[in-house]
Amino acid sequence: MSISRRLASGGLIDRSRPLNFTFDGKTYGGYAGDTLASALLANDTMLVGRSFKYHRPRGIFSAGPEEPNALVTLRSGPRAEPNTKATTIELFDGLKASSQNCWPSPQFDLRAVHQLAGPLLNAGFYYKTFMWPAAFWEKFYEPAIRASAGLGALSGLDDPDTYEKSHAFCDLLVIGAGPAGLAAALAAGRAGARVILAEEDFVLGGRLLGDTAQIDGVSAASWAALAEAELGTLPNVRILKRTAVFGAYDGEYGAIERVSDHLQVPPPFVPRQRLWKIVARQCVLAAGAQERPLVFPGNDRPGIMLASALRTYANRFGVTPGRRIAIFTTSDYGWRSAFELQKAGAEIAVVVDARAEVSPEVRKLAGNAPQFLGAHVSDTSGYRRLTGITITDSAGKTRRVAVDTLGVSGGWSPSIGIATHLGGKGSWAEEQSAFLCDERPPGMQIAGAAAAQWTLAQALENGALAGAKAASQVGLGLQAQKSIVASDEASGATPMWLFKGSRRKAFVDLQNDVTATDVALAAQEGFRSVEQLKRYTTLGMATDQGKTSNVNGLAILAGEIRKTIAETGATRARPPHVPVAIGAFAGLHSGKHFKPTRLTSSHAASAALNATFVEAGQWMRAQWFNAPGENDWLTSVTREVKAVRSTVGICDVSTLGKIALCGSDVGTFLDRVYINTFSTLPVGKVRYGVMLREDGFVMDDGTTAHLTADHWVMTTTTVNAGKVMQHLEYCHQVLWPELDVQTVSVTEQWAQVAVAGPKSRDLLQALLGDAFDVSNEAFPYLACAEFHVGNIPLRLFRVSFSGELAYEIAVPAGYGEALFNALMQAGKPLGVTPYGTEALSVMRIEKGHVAGSELNGQTVARDLGLGRMMSAKKDYIGRTMAAREALVDSNRPTLVGLRPVDRSHRLRNGALLFARDVTPAPDTNAGFITSTAFSPDHNHWIGLGLLARGPERHGEIIRAWDPVRSGDYELEVVDPVFVDAEGARLRA
Amino acid sequence: MRIPCPYCGSRDSSEFSYSGDATLTRPTPDNADAMFDYVYLRDNPVGLHREYWYHAAGCHAWLKVTRNVSTHEVIEAVLAHDEAAS
Amino acid sequence: MLDLAYISAFSGLRSIGDGRGVIARERRGIAIATVMARKGQGTALAAAVKEHFDINLPLGPHGSGSVSTSFLGTGPGRWLVTHDAGTPRFVERLAQQLEGLASVVDQSDGVGLLRLTGPALLDVLAKGVAVDLNTTAFPAGSVAVTQIAHMGVTLWKVDETPTFHIAIARSMAGSFLHWLEASAAVTGLVADG
Repeated sequence: MSISRRLASGGLIDRSRPLNFTFDGKTYGGYAGDTLASALLANDTMLVGRSFKYHRPRGIFSAGPEEPNALVTLRSGPRAEPNTKATTIELFDGLKASSQNCWPSPQFDLRAVHQLAGPLLNAGFYYKTFMWPAAFWEKFYEPAIRASAGLGALSGLDDPDTYEKSHAFCDLLVIGAGPAGLAAALAAGRAGARVILAEEDFVLGGRLLGDTAQIDGVSAASWAALAEAELGTLPNVRILKRTAVFGAYDGEYGAIERVSDHLQVPPPFVPRQRLWKIVARQCVLAAGAQERPLVFPGNDRPGIMLASALRTYANRFGVTPGRRIAIFTTSDYGWRSAFELQKAGAEIAVVVDARAEVSPEVRKLAGNAPQFLGAHVSDTSGYRRLTGITITDSAGKTRRVAVDTLGVSGGWSPSIGIATHLGGKGSWAEEQSAFLCDERPPGMQIAGAAAAQWTLAQALENGALAGAKAASQVGLGLQAQKSIVASDEASGATPMWLFKGSRRKAFVDLQNDVTATDVALAAQEGFRSVEQLKRYTTLGMATDQGKTSNVNGLAILAGEIRKTIAETGATRARPPHVPVAIGAFAGLHSGKHFKPTRLTSSHAASAALNATFVEAGQWMRAQWFNAPGENDWLTSVTREVKAVRSTVGICDVSTLGKIALCGSDVGTFLDRVYINTFSTLPVGKVRYGVMLREDGFVMDDGTTAHLTADHWVMTTTTVNAGKVMQHLEYCHQVLWPELDVQTVSVTEQWAQVAVAGPKSRDLLQALLGDAFDVSNEAFPYLACAEFHVGNIPLRLFRVSFSGELAYEIAVPAGYGEALFNALMQAGKPLGVTPYGTEALSVMRIEKGHVAGSELNGQTVARDLGLGRMMSAKKDYIGRTMAAREALVDSNRPTLVGLRPVDRSHRLRNGALLFARDVTPAPDTNAGFITSTAFSPDHNHWIGLGLLARGPERHGEIIRAWDPVRSGDYELEVVDPVFVDAEGARLRA
Repeated sequence: MRIPCPYCGSRDSSEFSYSGDATLTRPTPDNADAMFDYVYLRDNPVGLHREYWYHAAGCHAWLKVTRNVSTHEVIEAVLAHDEAAS
Repeated sequence: MLDLAYISAFSGLRSIGDGRGVIARERRGIAIATVMARKGQGTALAAAVKEHFDINLPLGPHGSGSVSTSFLGTGPGRWLVTHDAGTPRFVERLAQQLEGLASVVDQSDGVGLLRLTGPALLDVLAKGVAVDLNTTAFPAGSVAVTQIAHMGVTLWKVDETPTFHIAIARSMAGSFLHWLEASAAVTGLVADG
């Protein structure tokens, strides 16, 4: 039966709302307003886990996000979240948590034998011990180390919850809602500024919640509640609770709101967490300060806690963590904690101050408790819980005092991490014994304890001033602020970094089990910069990023290398300031919503025809259509190809980029972006064009149609549509602003369907009837036209990618599905067959047309057999660079057709090409296969490839070498056009 | 990072694509050496830099942005078209 | 004669969640065109627009309109024009009216249009839009070409209710509705008509 450590009254918990929770399978009770840590302490459960390396018993150490010890796994199953801090988990009914890094339990951990090996596990242990044999690292050492050391484990199951992102804009972002933050938000909010007040905790107030001081005649906690109420009435102020600002970025801040972390399961449609991007003109960093622990032998036993945390547990949560409490301090705040604990009803056994002199007023705070000045704690006892401390007094005399709890207070470290995210560094201020930040992100002020304004009165005044200044910075008039009156407090402190005593370990970093000896050893071995110290010893790493350990660690290092703290400096803090789940960064964009999907207007109709879809950029395109009885894709594709070559097929080609070019200078403009000439293209005609990058390599290809005098439409490949648009905009905005050219994408406006095959004209005739004359005379190869049928505008292009008689017909996209269905309907008597991208690809390979695998960014026009298109009469983008010696070298791999000598052999893309008589090696390689297809026309596999001096080698037998797929076979080099070399069909 | 588009106003940098040094001028086609420098050679200055940014997800304007590449502070953004035409 | 059925972009719009946080309606039958000033014709174009439509051509990211026709500034020398009075072949007529002064390209089918309103609208839009839509920064009449969840959108604040008109590429209508449903369901999304 556990003892209740809950005080009979007091605290900010709601005693009318009891909650049940389980920790390591055991059920406990708490109240609304508790954290998991306060509820565990109320149930006299101090021991919550084992340490990282040595598996030493560890207890709750703090009352906030700086917690190094009390990391637990929250929830179970797919919602399990490892490494959450018990000190920040808001208690909810039915909460389940479990301890980490111990087996079978934190009370009895078998791996505690690591402590016996303690002397071996010192700084750099892994580097020194597991160096050899090298092969052992991956298979043996690393798995073994990971199994025994480390933090909690992920569930390995899909996260069932959702995450979202949001944007916010404000005049002033206030980070932290303690006294300074509240005062800043009030001052700026009253002045009319748009304010966002972000607080990590679920209650506003910060240190006010753990204080019994008076502000404006009311208790500190009441003042915080009143401030919140007033802020709530201001429409220009937004309060974000449970929201931690995790980083300052260029011109904006990142914050994570734990929307549903305090709930068993998020309600319908509510995300677990929300990631905020906050654009703030001004910022007040009022993140407070963290109390520094003291480093002395045996300082890690469960029951040893920050003195301010003891005070918070008593005042905010109505819990006294121990029966008999000792205080060990080097600051006036330790005495203040003793005072408040006594006031709450706890027994203070002794106050030990390492300073020789302490003012009488401060000493009065300890009441009747025995006091030792100029003394220190030199040893402790107790395994699963502290049982006593040894005090060495100023005369060197030792005495033992039985206590179960020790509060330590080594002064305060301002929380300036976010201020240094843009590259500023903290600098040591000797007077305040703290790192302060002068070089801050633009528009940021630091206020309150984060600026070493330690006392309550200072923090309130400083915060109000910062808020008012921020408001005036954004152009709002200064408002007369009523001053806030707070009770006075002593704030003297003298930092002392290391106390000697017994031979027990004196821990600097509790989370990473780094001791004072480790720091000394690192210095001795030459790791004398703080950044090296961090990496070598792991000091300040992992989830708490050294919030309680960094300053002590570097101060001890400074002592070892005989430098000042200012000279030694601090490690640079980088975002995120608190851990952020990857899911929050992804937001909605997980699974198939990773990126938007674009659907063609014929998508549903194609799905109804059993299409299999393939991603092409963001588009989904029909890859092939499965007919009854077909079991493999090749059967379907072959059928589709045969249908197009013998009768007629239709294929949605709407995904090709379509760019309208308007203006009187489009012809001139196209001459400059394409390698061939367009200014001579008459209205009503289409021409194929190739454009280069300025470095001379091919960028994209496609056709451009001259619709009316001042209106042209260009097509691009599906994946390059955006890139070509950007390129054209660059050309006419930057290079040739004098031209009368306007461009706009019309990809989305037109649904376009290719109608291909010897009976394609018949099909269009059937579809259009008398509306348009599609005869060869009226509408020859490479003609284009725009006309209306009723009120529906249509565009018709006589272009062919398949090599057959073919057209592309376009209608406004709203009619796209109807057009596709109408073509299927009208084509029924002709045996019309829908075909997908695979059949399209087979036919373009049979025709030797280049596509994405040949336009790979490494080929020039000559490589693709398109050298003759390069006009010598004009300048165009890429012309000069394409003339470079290496790019006109006749030895360059050039487009060829390939067919297997053994006709039954399948070709595969990527196979390397070699002359028949050479040994395959990088320097004998003559090219590679770029595209392959099974040709129904030839009834065997064919390919396109880039082969050195290819055009001279037609008829030669070469070798395809494909070691990854165990391929080594002979190919015959042929002309790349396998079907209808004369081009008679497309002109039919 | 936020970029002050002269047309659209302050926008997130994710709406833009970056295209490097905006102080270069495309040389005449007959000058192969100058063209090589134009295509490949870039200075890597500390501090202020003029760069092209394309407002791809906004007004489609090409901008010349003056930016401190050390601090990421954006000093000025103008329409490249206006500068090129003047 | 060819007779094709028309399908609007947002035929998949549906209600989700409890409440009326966001009310969405597809704007159908709207003629839409991109209007781009010809080289050196900006002033003459503004005069022509004033003459034909009694509209002051906006020179920045704003909209101005008459009862049925609106010109939205979407870029330097570029406007998106919407017309909802059902004039047949409106875009062709517009092209004739602005002949020589602007290039006019039909986009009536390229984008889907939604009218969005409701008390939760600004909070919902903030989940996708990285532009300050608050009244002080984005008063009624403001236009923004921007993106939501990697999808290009054109937003126009019609009034301070607030009511927004929003244009999205037709092919992305399904993905956009996924974003809208996921973002608005918590306050309730009502498909109105």
